[in-house]
Amino acid sequence: MPLAALLLLPFLGSVLTALLPTRARSELAACAGFVSAGAAVWVISLFPRVRDGGVIRETISWVPSLGLDLVLRLDGFAWMFAVLITVIGALVCLYARYYMSPEDPVARLYAFLLAFMGAMLGVVLSGNLVQLVVFWELTSLVSFLLIGYWHHRVDAQRGARMALTVTGAGGLALLGGVLLLGHIVGSYELDVALASGDRVRAHPLYPAALVLILLGALTKSAQFPFHFWLPRAMAAPTPVSAYLHSATMVKAGVFLLARLWPVLSGTELWFWIVSGAGMTTLLLGAYIAMFQHDLKRVLAYSTISHLGLITLLFGLNSSLAAVAGVFHIMNHATFKASLFMAAGVVDHETGTRDIRRLNGLIRSMPRTGALALVASGAMAGVPLLNGFLSKEMFFAETMFFSAHPSVEVMLPVVATIAAIFAVVYSLRFGYDIFFGPPSTDLPRQPEEAPRWMRTPIELLVLSCLIVGVAPTISIGPSLAAAARPVVGGTLPEYSLAIWHGFNPPFVMSLVAIAGGVLGYLWLRKHQEQGRLQDAPFVGRLNARRLFESALLGLTRLSRRVLRLAGTRRLQTQMFTIIAVALLLALLAARGVPLEWGDRDRLPASPAFVLLWVIGAVCAVGAAVMAKFHRLIAITLMGGAGLVTCLTFMWFSAPDLALTQIVVEIITTILLLLGLRWLPMRIEGISRPVTARDRMRRGRDLLLAIGAGSGLAALSYAMLTRPAPHSISPFFLSRALPEGGGANVVNVMLVDFRAFDTLGEITVLGAVALTVYALLRRFRPPPESIEQPHQQRAFPADVVTDLVKPRTAEDAARGYMMVPAVIARLLLPVSVLVAAHFLLRGHNEPGGGFVAGLVVAIAMLMQYMVSGALWLEARARLRPVRWIAVGLLLGAITGLGALAVGYPFLTTHTAHVRLPLVGEVHLPSATFFDLGVFAVVVGATLLTLTALAHQSLRAHRRPTQSPASSTSEGTS
Amino acid sequence: MNQLPLWVEAAVAALLVLSGLFVVISAFGFLRLPDFFLRMHPPALAYTFGSWCVTLASILYFSMIESQLVLHPWLIIITLSITVPVTTLLLARVALFRRRAAGAADTPPPLTLRRDS
Repeated sequence: MPLAALLLLPFLGSVLTALLPTRARSELAACAGFVSAGAAVWVISLFPRVRDGGVIRETISWVPSLGLDLVLRLDGFAWMFAVLITVIGALVCLYARYYMSPEDPVARLYAFLLAFMGAMLGVVLSGNLVQLVVFWELTSLVSFLLIGYWHHRVDAQRGARMALTVTGAGGLALLGGVLLLGHIVGSYELDVALASGDRVRAHPLYPAALVLILLGALTKSAQFPFHFWLPRAMAAPTPVSAYLHSATMVKAGVFLLARLWPVLSGTELWFWIVSGAGMTTLLLGAYIAMFQHDLKRVLAYSTISHLGLITLLFGLNSSLAAVAGVFHIMNHATFKASLFMAAGVVDHETGTRDIRRLNGLIRSMPRTGALALVASGAMAGVPLLNGFLSKEMFFAETMFFSAHPSVEVMLPVVATIAAIFAVVYSLRFGYDIFFGPPSTDLPRQPEEAPRWMRTPIELLVLSCLIVGVAPTISIGPSLAAAARPVVGGTLPEYSLAIWHGFNPPFVMSLVAIAGGVLGYLWLRKHQEQGRLQDAPFVGRLNARRLFESALLGLTRLSRRVLRLAGTRRLQTQMFTIIAVALLLALLAARGVPLEWGDRDRLPASPAFVLLWVIGAVCAVGAAVMAKFHRLIAITLMGGAGLVTCLTFMWFSAPDLALTQIVVEIITTILLLLGLRWLPMRIEGISRPVTARDRMRRGRDLLLAIGAGSGLAALSYAMLTRPAPHSISPFFLSRALPEGGGANVVNVMLVDFRAFDTLGEITVLGAVALTVYALLRRFRPPPESIEQPHQQRAFPADVVTDLVKPRTAEDAARGYMMVPAVIARLLLPVSVLVAAHFLLRGHNEPGGGFVAGLVVAIAMLMQYMVSGALWLEARARLRPVRWIAVGLLLGAITGLGALAVGYPFLTTHTAHVRLPLVGEVHLPSATFFDLGVFAVVVGATLLTLTALAHQSLRAHRRPTQSPASSTSEGTS
Repeated sequence: MNQLPLWVEAAVAALLVLSGLFVVISAFGFLRLPDFFLRMHPPALAYTFGSWCVTLASILYFSMIESQLVLHPWLIIITLSITVPVTTLLLARVALFRRRAAGAADTPPPLTLRRDS
């Protein structure tokens, strides 16, 4: 499986580099570099198999029942891209070793770079359209991480977000387009799609599919009007820019254009959209690039312009133009990568990227200067360099293109003008910074870059030269192999010679170079006098601003919709939830008569009736008191809970009663802790109660009565029917012989449905962590920040036996000393009780859950009597570790069964003979239960102490206005 | 079910009756006593004694019927003898605090009320 291994290799390398120490620069670079170089060698070695139009296919069946397969497919075009991705990736890894500062956490950079390489390889190797979109979105995501690598910088954050928004939205459109295309073709296989071009173009859905797919491709390739994200992405480290904007990321867009060229091209619509966007971008990018002062921004806009050129070539509907497009993809990748790297070297050695400040660098860094000059020559299209060849082909295409006369005239003119602009910005990049009087005011004294930092540039520039001088030998075979699949199998006639005679394209080249030199001199003269610092005419046409205001408008709109449809008032939310639930229940019960069942009723016992009267009084009292006396309400709720608990006892459900009582205690403590942060209710209402208020209250009362009595009626109807035949007899009969425990509930939890329990304790741990995380950011309302009035009864400087909890290190002083000392005795007793419950849980009421809650309650008791500071200074509780240990214990117990050849979480019961104790019945489920126990202890403690710690934290009042806060700061 | 000796049955019955007696007396006291601080005692004492008697009865009964010592109900006795005093003390302190805060004349001042200079 050569392709699967190739695709997997960068991802494995990414994981590996992520695991290495984050500042081990050389090791990281070596690791990443060898992975990419290995991948490069691997790809290149596959060339003989794709050379003559061969295609390597691999299918890995993934979900065969759904017909989902991973299809990898390598033809000449994909091969060419894979070579670019891996070779330039390897060079970037080497370059980044010297570019990144020792302070940067480079492990992250290399891990992301390799992951990005993997995602790009996934795009080019995909043989399935949906799979291609998945990898496409993966490149968007990883590029977000790469652009935002320096995540503390605002420009990096904004640039990364913008790139992700634009390319991600494009990816969504692409998904829609691909689904349409798959619908038209009848298959998502790329091979099938490539073979059915005529059918696609004739289909009525073709325009929709085309527009959606083009949205994806044009956003990715930063084509007008989506070009604005690319200059913003320059906030990334230079190695990342060199990689993303030469061989990968932005090339994915043109890759898609070329990949689907046989399917989608050849129509009017294709021509107008693609070549229109390409031509606009070509001209606009080159125009703006001339006026940039930042080296990287010049390169960014020139990248946009060159991508526009490639897009234009693919849009011309001629196979010769498509070959030129493929050729220019290769050439642009080589010279643009080397130019980015050279810009990085200049930035690295001088400390600035401002063209106006950089002058005469050729003296201090002659080698880098020479390399940058050659590369910018290639960018400008100077003869004997690779950029000249593809540009010449482009000129030829524009000359001999046949369409509407106006287009025929306009195309060569636009091409020449864009070429003039390209010469101007190339001169500004190359000539302007390396020649002239050396600048003296640079942040750093420039000197030649380290040898290995120059090596990647040297190799790239060398390839520019070789291709430029001897194209037929060097690049001819690869180009033929790469272009053949794009144009559908038969290559058009073309010649890669340097000299085609004195023909119109050559004249256009000459005009461009001459015009460019003149334009450069003219522009420099004006700029030296302080004019033309920004690009004239296009300042108003700011796509970035449009994008941002569109986003802002969207945010505002969503906020307005939220305000209209949502509410932050608890009353309204509760009303809606209960009303909807009641309505749904009534709808569901429509047509089904509510009848009581015919099960034999137990005779009512007076004691039980009395118990329930007490419970009902408590419940109603809690509801009445909830408005102004919350403490009383909570106490009464506890009473109702106790009655529930006794009811369970009455009906012989001791394990339920046990669980109910511990849960009741924990809930009450939780509510009491929360009570501290609720504002006091104002009893007297100043305004008179209107009829409307009465209506509202009546409505709420009716709803409450309706929902409550409905639920009661439902339970009564259920309870008076005989228990339906469910799986309970199964559990009852199998618990002892097969689960090895007499307590069926516990055997179900830790054995029959242990996997559910494992999931539940995982959720419990996650919930506890979430509560903790949320409470770390807790800001109480301003009216609750003050200490409660009980704690303010005495002035702050008074020493009394009434210890103030917020200032007390040890609450067990004064009047709390006696209870605290006695209550400390309770801890060992409670732990003993918990151990008792835990150990007997498999056969009698008890189990890990109850035992965990008992230990948690015992610890909370200590918190209450001794104070958090005293306790935490003496007992290291570490609830998070409890959760972790519990989860691991549960998982390892389950895996133990796997190790001896049984399904996950199978229980084995051992009978061990211990000295003194005698025969012990020890199922492996006990260890699982121990895990449950640990998770429950940890989660309960973490949640409740996180809430309790709020009282210890000093809460700042939110400042009323910025003006008052600054005056406080200065005084 | 095996038959228990008569003295065991008598002892268990006596303990249960005793516990009931304690509870009735305390309920009566709870009704009749005039003041919170007085009223606090009957439930505390009844709770302790009554539960002790029931627990002892249960230990005796189940130890005899299973012919081995059943001691884990003893945990109830230990737990109650710790928690009941703590609860009572805290309730008393709360009542005292509230009475002081209300400014009742007949309450003693806090133990060490002094102002550090």
